[in-house]
Amino acid sequence: MGARAGGSPVALRDVLEAAVADGALVAFGGGELKRKPVAAARELVALGRRDLRIATMLGSAEVEVLLGGDGLAEVHSAGVMLLGLAPRWRHARQSGSPRVVEWSEGTFVAALQAAALGADSMLWPSGAGTDLPAVNPWLKEVADPWSGAPVLAVRALVPDVAIIHAHGVDEEGNVYIDDDLVADELLARAARRVVVTYEREVPVDRARTSIARLFVDDTVQAEGGAAPTAMPGLYEVDRDGIGSL
Amino acid sequence: MIADLLTAALAEEIAAAPDLRVFVPTTPATDVAARAARELGAARLALARGFTDLDAGQRGSVLDVFTLLNRGRLGVAVTPIQLDAAGRTNLSGIGPVGRPKAAMIGPRGLPENNDTPSPLWYLVPQHSPRTLVARVDMVCGPAPSGRGPRVLLTAAGRFELREGVWHLTWITEDGADMINDTPEFAIETPSRLPIVKEPNAETLAVLERVDPKGVRRREFGE
Repeated sequence: MGARAGGSPVALRDVLEAAVADGALVAFGGGELKRKPVAAARELVALGRRDLRIATMLGSAEVEVLLGGDGLAEVHSAGVMLLGLAPRWRHARQSGSPRVVEWSEGTFVAALQAAALGADSMLWPSGAGTDLPAVNPWLKEVADPWSGAPVLAVRALVPDVAIIHAHGVDEEGNVYIDDDLVADELLARAARRVVVTYEREVPVDRARTSIARLFVDDTVQAEGGAAPTAMPGLYEVDRDGIGSL
Repeated sequence: MIADLLTAALAEEIAAAPDLRVFVPTTPATDVAARAARELGAARLALARGFTDLDAGQRGSVLDVFTLLNRGRLGVAVTPIQLDAAGRTNLSGIGPVGRPKAAMIGPRGLPENNDTPSPLWYLVPQHSPRTLVARVDMVCGPAPSGRGPRVLLTAAGRFELREGVWHLTWITEDGADMINDTPEFAIETPSRLPIVKEPNAETLAVLERVDPKGVRRREFGE
């Protein structure tokens, strides 16, 4: 149970029930084994949403949790791993179900940047000459209209909902992340709706704000919400928890 | 032994790289090498801890790493699951593109870092025909165009990619047999070649200082 900034206490499940519809594209923040919104991923499984599409630049436990349910239709990522290889991710890619769309870190960022700007697409200087366009319909190798150089045209990836786990939220609804932001700042600008789960309420300190309240729709306290991934400064990776996903 | 040799070689490479301002450790051994490089002459080298924590003051944007890559200032050492004769890399999977028989992590940043002006090292401990191939199964990193140095370090030796061809620059004592076992991975070998048996003593001493517990050796299975 947490508190929505400026409102009455809310539960994570209630927030997600309102925010995430069947078939939605849901993006997850954090990176690798740090700051993953795992509590939110578990709630989405419990809600029984169908045909979800999920996206994360560098996934781990949240992807494995959601692949462990039966509600996923599509997974977008530049890479997923746990302490070693991620078994459900591997199975999905080897079996073709659910569908996996492979990105690079840079093209994923470019797709979010395009979404944040309201552009249909943008050009990305790397990735021409690779097999990425063969496994990702959001990417096309084209000639740059100015130089003629081969580049990738990256279609905007617009999450219906972004879920980000943060260290703190203040009474105004500003978000504080005391670690690498990964792509979360951009994710918050790209998504139609932004849900932030957080560890604890913190005092207002605008100079330290990681994501301004202007880009945030829902905040809900979820202490330990990144476990079994790490929350730098608060808790480490729970190796047993990763092993029993 | 190979852990010390390759970690020391990487540390010396990082320390000597011109224009390098930040290094992104991808594994414990590459972190050890970068910290050693600071003591070997690259005192101001920043060590990135993620995308926006670049160890250089104010927290930046996720785009910063790509900016620095494309200005020749960001170094990284990667261990792809396959590296080919033209310098293409693969971290996605073995088998057909899009439906691998053995799926691995995914492309990650290989499409961005394989062809840039920044230095890139391939740290491939085992000089194996499974890893060093004629052509990768899925092209994650495109063939480098020569804008920045590309160096491969394996248990067999050190290789430089020049004009699309790998050139052996030194070899380990057992390197010749390993190279003979990877005929698909075409290389050029000079007529006279230094044989490296052990790491430079000064560099090894620095490694011991920055990594007294020998984390680097565990990564190499030693």
